[in-house]
Amino acid sequence: MHEVFQKPDPLRIRLSGRGGQGIILSGVIIAQAAMNGGQFVVHTQSYGPEARLGASKSEVVISQREIAFPEVVLADILLCLSLDAFHKYGTQVASHGLSVVDDLVPIERPREGQIVLPLRRTARELGNELTANIVGIGTVIALAEIVEIAHVRQAIKEWVKPEFHMINLQAFDRGLQLGGRFRVSA
Amino acid sequence: MRLVQGNEAVVLGALAGGCNFYAGYPITPATEIMEQMARVLPARGGVFIQMEDELAALGAVIGAAWGGMRAMTATSGPGFSLMQEHIGYAAMTQTPCVIVDSQRVGPSTGQPTMPAQGDVMQARWGSHGDRPAIVVTASSVKDAYQMTQLSFEWADTYRLPVIVLLDAVLSHMRENVELPPAPPPFSRTLSPDVDVEKPFGNHPFVPFAETTRTIVTGLAHDETGATRGTVGHASEKIIRDAFNRLNHDYAAITQYREYRLEDAAWAVVSYGITARAARAAVDILRGEGMRVGLLELISLWPFPEPTVQSLARQVQGILMPELNLGQLILPLRAAVEGICPVAGLGRADGELFTPEEIANAMTSHSTHAERRVSHHA
Repeated sequence: MHEVFQKPDPLRIRLSGRGGQGIILSGVIIAQAAMNGGQFVVHTQSYGPEARLGASKSEVVISQREIAFPEVVLADILLCLSLDAFHKYGTQVASHGLSVVDDLVPIERPREGQIVLPLRRTARELGNELTANIVGIGTVIALAEIVEIAHVRQAIKEWVKPEFHMINLQAFDRGLQLGGRFRVSA
Repeated sequence: MRLVQGNEAVVLGALAGGCNFYAGYPITPATEIMEQMARVLPARGGVFIQMEDELAALGAVIGAAWGGMRAMTATSGPGFSLMQEHIGYAAMTQTPCVIVDSQRVGPSTGQPTMPAQGDVMQARWGSHGDRPAIVVTASSVKDAYQMTQLSFEWADTYRLPVIVLLDAVLSHMRENVELPPAPPPFSRTLSPDVDVEKPFGNHPFVPFAETTRTIVTGLAHDETGATRGTVGHASEKIIRDAFNRLNHDYAAITQYREYRLEDAAWAVVSYGITARAARAAVDILRGEGMRVGLLELISLWPFPEPTVQSLARQVQGILMPELNLGQLILPLRAAVEGICPVAGLGRADGELFTPEEIANAMTSHSTHAERRVSHHA
């Protein structure tokens, strides 16, 4: 069980994995959702020279005020979909930060604040492992309420091709359920 | 309000500036500019061409400008190096055009996906010979829009290639911005079919019409375009006059932003994406009681000497962080020599400075500068 996450301002989110896992798109969706909620947002992305399977990182800063530094040093929220990303960013988390790590990433015993969840396996059950990023967003939002659920649904429709709306909205709902199980009722 | 990426803002700013011609060759991290131009320009009656390389791209842009188009290209370091030849040609032929360079780590192929500010001197001095230059940069998505738009205006007014420097982070960064809708397409206007007696020098830019017989050449020429006889003096006069036009309008061209400088005893002078970390660093240091502010340079060339000199007279020391190993600090030092001490902070590893790193460097600079002062006293 995880304590209710106290949302700082600015809120710094880092999403990480491999190229091809939709890491950048998931950052854009969170940024769009926060913007839909009237907040200031900055989204940055970084990837290796290779388009697929290289390291991929996407960061979102959300605030009530204009944002100065656009990147994330220590993340308040970390989503991690690959082992390389975990090695690189697993410890770059603020104290009292929250990490959600895919359970196919072979890590030793999770530390305080690290929650291991079946993101890719859930996406596979839905028939498309590429939606693991959206399952991940769902878990993070259930655990930390960083943006409004309705705003995320709207953002998914804004950024995902129409033929993939349905499966991504399903992936988001599954993520919300997964994350919700680990949340202490306030 | 929309979530807009830096490169997308360049495209929107270019349309707002009347751009109707784009020629380029794709390169990370500038590729999205080209992709979006390919989509948007033909639909607006404009022209998009993918050329065989960057040299050809700027060649096509220069030709298009003489054909009456508002033309631009975009690239990154390796392509920008190739363009230097034609930047000189555009300067010599007084051709209005806009070149966007999204900087990545060099030299050579370097780190294609990582940010740098290593082209700030090349943008000014990369082409041989003497030429006045306007080089601007941006630290936000909104700036990228505004400075690109403004660059088209200046390119026309001053008849020169205007260079916009971005970096890999800003090019791919998204922010919520409110941008005006794109204006109606700028259409090509043919000049009346008259011979232009003096197409160069202090005369307005007149693109080709059907019977135009203007000779456009990289050879030294006088204001009629003639290259024969002794044109050395006439050619130098054209270049000197071009410098004088920028000097005359210096105040309008010089763009900068001041942050918490009113009572500052120390200053960070920064530009581009690094200014974002510098701004956060100023807040950290203010929180610790240090009277520090930020001068963010938006236009880099002409170098804003009077602006930094008046700042130097106000403060006890200046820190310039930049994503290279010490480039824009050279004209800064030359400008404020003997007025106040300047320290640099550089890196070329493809990472941004964090606010804490800049704050620490500022603290250390102030300690050393104070010690130097007391030692001499």
